[in-house]
Amino acid sequence: MFIQKGKSFGFILIFILILLLLTALPFFVDLFYQTFLTELFVWILFAISFDLIFGYTGLLSFGQALFFGLGGYTVTILIRKFGLNTELSLFLSIIIPILFAWFVGFFSVKLTGIHFVIITIIFAIIGNIIGDTWTSFTGGADGLTFSPPPFRLGLFQIDLTDIKGNYYFVLAIVAISFLFLRRMIQSPLGKIFISIRENEERARLIGYNVQRYKLIAFIIAGGLSGLAGGLYSLTLKYASAGYLHWSVSGHAVVYTIVGGMGTLVGPAIGVGIVMSLEHYLINFLQATDLVVGIALVFMVLVAPKGLVGLIQSIFKKGETSA
Amino acid sequence: MPEKNEIILELKEVNKSFGGLLAVNKVNLSVSKGELRALIGPNGAGKTTLLNLINGTLSVSGGHIFFKTKEITNLSPHRISHIGIARTLQITSLFSGLTVYENIWTAVQSRKKFFNPFIRAFKWQDVKEKTESMLDLTGFKDKAHLVCSELSYGDQRILEMGIALSTEPTLLLLDEPTAGLNSQESMVLVKKMRGMLSGQTIVLVEHDMGVVMELADNISVLHYGSILAEGPPDEIKENEEVKKVYLGSEHA
Repeated sequence: MFIQKGKSFGFILIFILILLLLTALPFFVDLFYQTFLTELFVWILFAISFDLIFGYTGLLSFGQALFFGLGGYTVTILIRKFGLNTELSLFLSIIIPILFAWFVGFFSVKLTGIHFVIITIIFAIIGNIIGDTWTSFTGGADGLTFSPPPFRLGLFQIDLTDIKGNYYFVLAIVAISFLFLRRMIQSPLGKIFISIRENEERARLIGYNVQRYKLIAFIIAGGLSGLAGGLYSLTLKYASAGYLHWSVSGHAVVYTIVGGMGTLVGPAIGVGIVMSLEHYLINFLQATDLVVGIALVFMVLVAPKGLVGLIQSIFKKGETSA
Repeated sequence: MPEKNEIILELKEVNKSFGGLLAVNKVNLSVSKGELRALIGPNGAGKTTLLNLINGTLSVSGGHIFFKTKEITNLSPHRISHIGIARTLQITSLFSGLTVYENIWTAVQSRKKFFNPFIRAFKWQDVKEKTESMLDLTGFKDKAHLVCSELSYGDQRILEMGIALSTEPTLLLLDEPTAGLNSQESMVLVKKMRGMLSGQTIVLVEHDMGVVMELADNISVLHYGSILAEGPPDEIKENEEVKKVYLGSEHA
């Protein structure tokens, strides 16, 4: 049935424990790993935003790179060229991708299955081409660097050029976004998304305007992907046309499938595993993608519901045999 | 107080053509409140097409459809649902990865107007109560926690009716509820339907003549997209034309 209160309590406990652990971590690891973890948090946000549209609503969107790139460029260009403050720039890195997601989604959600996949790839490719060729505005493949002013909220202020400060900043935003998405999945709106994933026709027959709710999911996922892009450029102090490449969406696909789609926790674990794997393999192997690819094929064949699904099924077996 | 013979559904000269093929040809049909109207006819007679036209899955090529006195021709399926027409399909259509409880919940919840993304769904007490009463009515109380792909096929057919009923319809369109069931299972289903659907206005498409004769108040016979005959079961049984095109060929 639905997630019970007991389970919810368990989640909150684990969530707080992990947050405490991650808060303490910068005191034990060097700057290199602090940056690595910050990037990892960003990709978690990107992966869970993708999971909303793919794992929960059932739409395989390769357009998320477009919104990620737009978010990245919004922050970079507003700060570098218009001297805007960090708060507003980051806020707009949600709003501008939302507007684009609205536009892209308006056309895309009319299509289903493979046609939806293709149209979202096409939009991402268009974005990438514009980013690549409009070099005076975007810096093209070389990209643009910038230096963000401190983030201010009332009396609260945080210096993002400080690696540790940036770490906590990104951690906080990703944690809030995670809770936001989790609540939405449990909400009546989330039940509609899931019903569309399970059976679009049935959802329509019981009175849900399926296209409208697909568009809503697409817009929310687009906004959060944009926020991930914004945080990514704040972390690297840089954005380039490469952010817009449709293969960036492919990262989210890999993370989500390895971890377990439609679970939120799954994609987060997927990011941790794949990025760590890549990080350690690079020491003795050039073609890390090859290993990740093999791992992906393995997961799809052996555990199509990802690691989380695999663990759940083991627990279930234990319950029934006990 | 609604009149006893208030008209719920009325079709006037409804046409549907696919390319050159006339699948539904000038059909007039009128169903009153509380009536169970069976639509029968040989394969390809246009029965399912007619249901698809009523609930907006297909758009009509000509003619008008009225619900109560309101014209509903060519409204989209989700709007038809909110007007008060529910539908089951010939091939079972459920949220197959979800539990029985979640299936019913999702249908009950559909009557709400605003879907707050910041509250937990189970905080909706009224939806919860309605879901539980629907589980009682459909007899799924003990199976509520099962994922519906674990249900027997017969139970899945009943659950789909339960989902349709959970949207509180004025009119229920049932497309061959006994499809794929053996005659024994069909009779179990009929018994169940009598309990669940009493007093409900229904248009029933059905191949199983036993089921039709058992349940229907009136029967409309479709043949090549047109209404061939119409009347109570006893009358239809004796109708010479119907015997010739339909009953005669299958039940000789």
